[in-house]
Amino acid sequence: MIVAEGLTKDFRIAERRPGLLGSLSTLLTREYRTVHAVDGISFALRAGSKTAYIGANGAGKSTTIKMLTGIMTPTSGRCLVNGVEPYRHRRENARAIGVVFGQRSQLWWDLSVPDSFRILRRIYAIPDAVYERNLALYRELLDIDALGTTPVRQLSLGQRMRAEIAASLLHDPKVVFWDEPTIGLDMVLKEAVRELVNRANAELGTTVLLTSHDLSDIAAICDDALVVDGGRVVHEGTLTELLGRADRRSVVFDHRGGPGPLDAARGVEAGLPGATATVTPEGRIRVDYPAASLTSRQVLGFLLDRFELTDCYAPEPDLETVLRQIYRGGVPAARNGGGA
Amino acid sequence: MRRPDLRPGGYLPFATSGLQSLLQYRSTFLITGITAAAGAAVTVFLWRAVYADGSGPGPGGFTPASITTYLVVAQVLAVVHTNRVDDEVAAEVYRGDIAVTLVRPLSYPLVRFAACLPVIGANAVLVGVPLLVLFAALVPLTAPRPVDVLLFLPSAALSVLIAFCVNLLTGMAGFVTTNTWGVRMAKQGVVAFFAGQMVPLALLPGPLHALAMVLPFRAMADGPLTLLLGRYEGTAGAAAVLGHQLAWGAGLVLLCAALWRAAVSRLEVLGG
Repeated sequence: MIVAEGLTKDFRIAERRPGLLGSLSTLLTREYRTVHAVDGISFALRAGSKTAYIGANGAGKSTTIKMLTGIMTPTSGRCLVNGVEPYRHRRENARAIGVVFGQRSQLWWDLSVPDSFRILRRIYAIPDAVYERNLALYRELLDIDALGTTPVRQLSLGQRMRAEIAASLLHDPKVVFWDEPTIGLDMVLKEAVRELVNRANAELGTTVLLTSHDLSDIAAICDDALVVDGGRVVHEGTLTELLGRADRRSVVFDHRGGPGPLDAARGVEAGLPGATATVTPEGRIRVDYPAASLTSRQVLGFLLDRFELTDCYAPEPDLETVLRQIYRGGVPAARNGGGA
Repeated sequence: MRRPDLRPGGYLPFATSGLQSLLQYRSTFLITGITAAAGAAVTVFLWRAVYADGSGPGPGGFTPASITTYLVVAQVLAVVHTNRVDDEVAAEVYRGDIAVTLVRPLSYPLVRFAACLPVIGANAVLVGVPLLVLFAALVPLTAPRPVDVLLFLPSAALSVLIAFCVNLLTGMAGFVTTNTWGVRMAKQGVVAFFAGQMVPLALLPGPLHALAMVLPFRAMADGPLTLLLGRYEGTAGAAAVLGHQLAWGAGLVLLCAALWRAAVSRLEVLGG
């Protein structure tokens, strides 16, 4: 559904020297610096997938979305959305996609939300049945009627984002690109947005590509993850696989008899080289160990051998930890799953 | 290449929504009106002084009444041509808000055209007509012949199209420079001079006059006014004026389409 092949976008940025003298000198001689915003990335997302596009600030997420939505033309390489090169056939592509730019409003600034929706209905020639069904859904989930006849410019950020999200789905697009869609939304509305997109995905097979800095959004909405770092794809596959790439695992346990918690922790560290053991506020012992040098079998075997365990669980590595590790270069660039 | 459809239905909402937005900012019209009236007053009274003591036609074959009509109607046309397309396109390109329109299945220049129609209509009705009535009450104007009014109307419509193209091209300066204000000021000066708003083109010296007759800006004021005041030689003369307008209208539309295509493929929207 969405394919990128060696997609590259360079920007030429005029260098400014600091200070007044520097500013004056740029009048005469101007130096340009080329910034590789997106550096030859390739990926393929299947129809009906819900993918989080993850990367640190400046990783080229927005630039990629602008190429996929047909706003910008790549410097080299190409991308296909629904079999169409978006920047070559912008209008054709635009019919099939829905977009939210968290930073820019796509509603009519001086009009009310219902007026904006009526305009969108005309632009996309949305059939009555689809329009009514979607409005009913937005009434139910997003409480869109509460926005009333207030001009968009007078809405709060959260109210506006609700309308933006609804507007991006109004014409039943095949693909939605959401760039930071949940900024300004409270917990209840975030839930509603997740519900909305999951329904569209389940009922219409809508493909979703989402960028967000809110990792709980990503976890709730997406199944797949595309992680870009330094302009390159460092992970393409499911979110679960991404979590599996954590270089450290943990086990938390409780035991009966034997040494006190502190001594037990020291004993674990001594017996399992490379592992760290800490006592949690509840008096349990948490063991963190490198997945590369110790297997789960070794760790659990050691614990079962030494202690009379009363409770034991292994918390899943969290997304934040994995991402921090990737951004710091802890995980080598590798590709899982269906690469292009 | 598959042609996307260009149904008017998709563009009409931009005209109606433009009108809805406009009506929220009523004071704008008052300010435009005052500015236009002051501008017209300066040129009208200046040129009336030049023609004051002449009996019979003065320079360029104008009478005091006909040169007044020329300048007042030129000012009204200028008001109608103030369609905001140049500011809005430049601002959208500069701020990157153009991205939002580009994700719609629509042609951006056509969206702009649809959106400027209510501005043109509102300017004509709320500023142009009062301006004409005001000057008609203050100074004697020439009553045009009915046939000349009939020729003037399509000519004025063509002048609106040409003004749209000129403003779109001006706004597209936003693709290459951030100082679009300067470009707009320069355009305004060139248009005011070569359209005949400040000095009727018939009064320009030889080479300058020849240049003005070739440039497209003539089609924005002097062309329609030549027809309105009957200052043409027979059917061929009228056809020449309309032909000049039609040729430039078509040429500018093609130029806009070609430049737009080239510019949008180089668009860089940074941030957000």
